[in-house]
Amino acid sequence: MKTIGADIVLQVLEEEGVEAIFGYPGANTLPLNDRLADSPIRHYLMRHEQAAAHAADGYARVTGKTGVCLATSGPGATNLVTGIATAYMDSTPLVAITAQVNSELWGRDAFQETDIIGITMPITKHSFMVRDPEQIASSLRSAFRLARSGRPGPVLLDIPRDILGTPDSGNERSIPENTPLPYENGEALVRIAEALNRSERPIILIGGGIKLGDACDLATAFVKKTGIPFVSTMMGIGSIISGNGYDLGFIGTHGNQLANSMIHQSDFILALGSRFTERSTSVIAKFAPLASVAQIDIDPTSIGKNIKVDFQWIGDIKDALVALSELVPPRDRSQWETRINEERALSAAKEGDDGCGEAGLLIRKIQAALPRDAIVIPDVGLNQIWTVRSWQCRSPRSLITTGGMGTMGFSLPAAIGVKIGAPEREVVTVSGDGGFLMNIQELATISSYCLPLKIVVLNNGHLGMIRQMQDLFFEARFTNCALGDTVDLVAVARGFGIPAERIPVHGNPDAAIARMKEAKGPYLVEAVIDQDTYVYPIIPPGKSNVEMISGK
Amino acid sequence: MAVQEHIISLLVNNQPGVLSRIAGVFSSKGYNIRSLCVAETTNPDVSRITLTSRADRDFTDKIKKQLDRLVDIVSVTDLTDIPSVKRELMIIGLRIKEENRREILRAIDLFGCKIVAMDEDYLILEVTANTDKTAAILKFFEPFGVEEMNRTGAIAVFRQPSGR
Ligand SMILES: Cc1ncc(C[n+]2csc(CCOP(=O)(O)OP(=O)(O)O)c2C)c(N)n1
Repeated sequence: MKTIGADIVLQVLEEEGVEAIFGYPGANTLPLNDRLADSPIRHYLMRHEQAAAHAADGYARVTGKTGVCLATSGPGATNLVTGIATAYMDSTPLVAITAQVNSELWGRDAFQETDIIGITMPITKHSFMVRDPEQIASSLRSAFRLARSGRPGPVLLDIPRDILGTPDSGNERSIPENTPLPYENGEALVRIAEALNRSERPIILIGGGIKLGDACDLATAFVKKTGIPFVSTMMGIGSIISGNGYDLGFIGTHGNQLANSMIHQSDFILALGSRFTERSTSVIAKFAPLASVAQIDIDPTSIGKNIKVDFQWIGDIKDALVALSELVPPRDRSQWETRINEERALSAAKEGDDGCGEAGLLIRKIQAALPRDAIVIPDVGLNQIWTVRSWQCRSPRSLITTGGMGTMGFSLPAAIGVKIGAPEREVVTVSGDGGFLMNIQELATISSYCLPLKIVVLNNGHLGMIRQMQDLFFEARFTNCALGDTVDLVAVARGFGIPAERIPVHGNPDAAIARMKEAKGPYLVEAVIDQDTYVYPIIPPGKSNVEMISGK
Repeated sequence: MAVQEHIISLLVNNQPGVLSRIAGVFSSKGYNIRSLCVAETTNPDVSRITLTSRADRDFTDKIKKQLDRLVDIVSVTDLTDIPSVKRELMIIGLRIKEENRREILRAIDLFGCKIVAMDEDYLILEVTANTDKTAAILKFFEPFGVEEMNRTGAIAVFRQPSGR
């Protein structure tokens, strides 16, 4: 067999350490699908391209490597869009390869032609077409470098079918490189440390950048050494093992009261890898009014984007943490600690079970039944808030969620990538009935590869979070949020070849959990939950972080 | 912060799609472009884009950082406070009435405009000046009957050859 463009693609993927890709074929990807048969790289056939992108995303989030997905031109490529945007918003390194129509047809509205580069420009770090077989290798290598460098994110490479199929000339050509990122000097870190050392009520804000920068251990050590309490954004949850005395919970609209209240009272925020979205800050003008802010981030555009910062440092979070732990000695801040402990007691009395009721109890029981390093992947909606509040993060990368986009339907396909990336760990998804139905076709992928995933659907017959908002903010006029109970999810799961059972959430779930735990392959538990079970406290739209409400 | 005219000068790889990426940065941040000029530089692989917009300094700094991130951008410079020579070209089609003829011709002379076409009652003028001056000239001629006008928007070069 002659070496063709597709072989070069596979060679570079191997060179980049790629072991698995997630895709869906079409006429224009066929040269690649053909050669994949002889490659050590495993191609997972998903049942929808959106799922392929989410699976690659999940794979990347759990392994720390770059995820790869493959789709054909036209509808295949456009189906990737939601998955790519999700990766973009959560800064997951991802390389999306799309096959394009033959070069000579390009620009003629040929069958299955789409300007996927134009479509994905705003949701990728970069997107480009390979116009010449001699550029395949260098383009793909730059795609990987770009996806990983600085603030990670998705890169899309569009390759016309003829270029995938052309014999390789062996004349590789390189394409220009982007300039390296600016790094700021240590002076700025010294100033940050001085301000932090002077502060009376400091707080560390943990963002998603800690996981992306592979700095969980360093951050944990920093917190331990300095004794400074921390709060997380939703993307930051699980960076530092939760449940120790420094952990105040997570901030924002659906966050913990303690976390929101303490960041409001703090006089200094050390933000590590967070872009301060309004989901975390609520009304920016009212956010942490007493605090000076030091922001550390690898992405210059994230600094000061949403809130005004007093100190900044651009660069690798690991370098920052190493330097800062030299510069920040532990210090007595007993007044601050006392105040935190008082508030903790207060909010514990108020929130009780973390505001998650029976759903939270079920999630805690599931976690208790699984090994310590089990991974949970919530979907989006009430189920996500219940899960992130109830799951105790006991090991790195043990909670994987879409914080930036909040994409319903993420959890099931993402779990496929997670399981393939971490086959030795137990993986459980928790979704609502709405989100579950959005990518339900992936049950077929799960059963055909016999992936031992634990699937939990919290079925309230409604788009629960929408229902809660209508209840609170739209005079309980429930429009367009009822999904009904006409679908027998257990029968559907069995139809896909997955054993399943239904339980009431307020019953005793222990036996069902035990059966799910013992299952060798995938297993689905549908927990029927009352439609009026909501999540509290919550920050109403337009309110500040300390104006959480705990009921109607 | 004060809103003012900002001139941003970009060197970019001469590639398809680069312009729409740059325009995309502006549109996705809800930022209006007032004028935009693009042409190859002495190096055919690199194009110079000169772009003007009205915004405050803070916003311009953010846009600069966003632009810096694009792979095909070689350099981004905010020329607002950097010594540079800025020019734009404007072409005006002007209706002439007998009673205004002398005044118009005097003004053309005074402003240093060039007549590029002329017949009995119609005149086409070429104006090269900085944006403020082209605006002033246009304002002057408007009462006489400007039938058509087209202009390029600013282009600029640095006063110091090394400055970017
Ligand atoms: C793709 C997508 N469409 C719409 C939304 C808006 N949305 C957010 S939460 C939610 C309701 C989710 O309902 P369900 O999946 O049943 O979960 P529950 O809230 O009941 O746990 C909706 C519609 C979204 N986040 N993603």
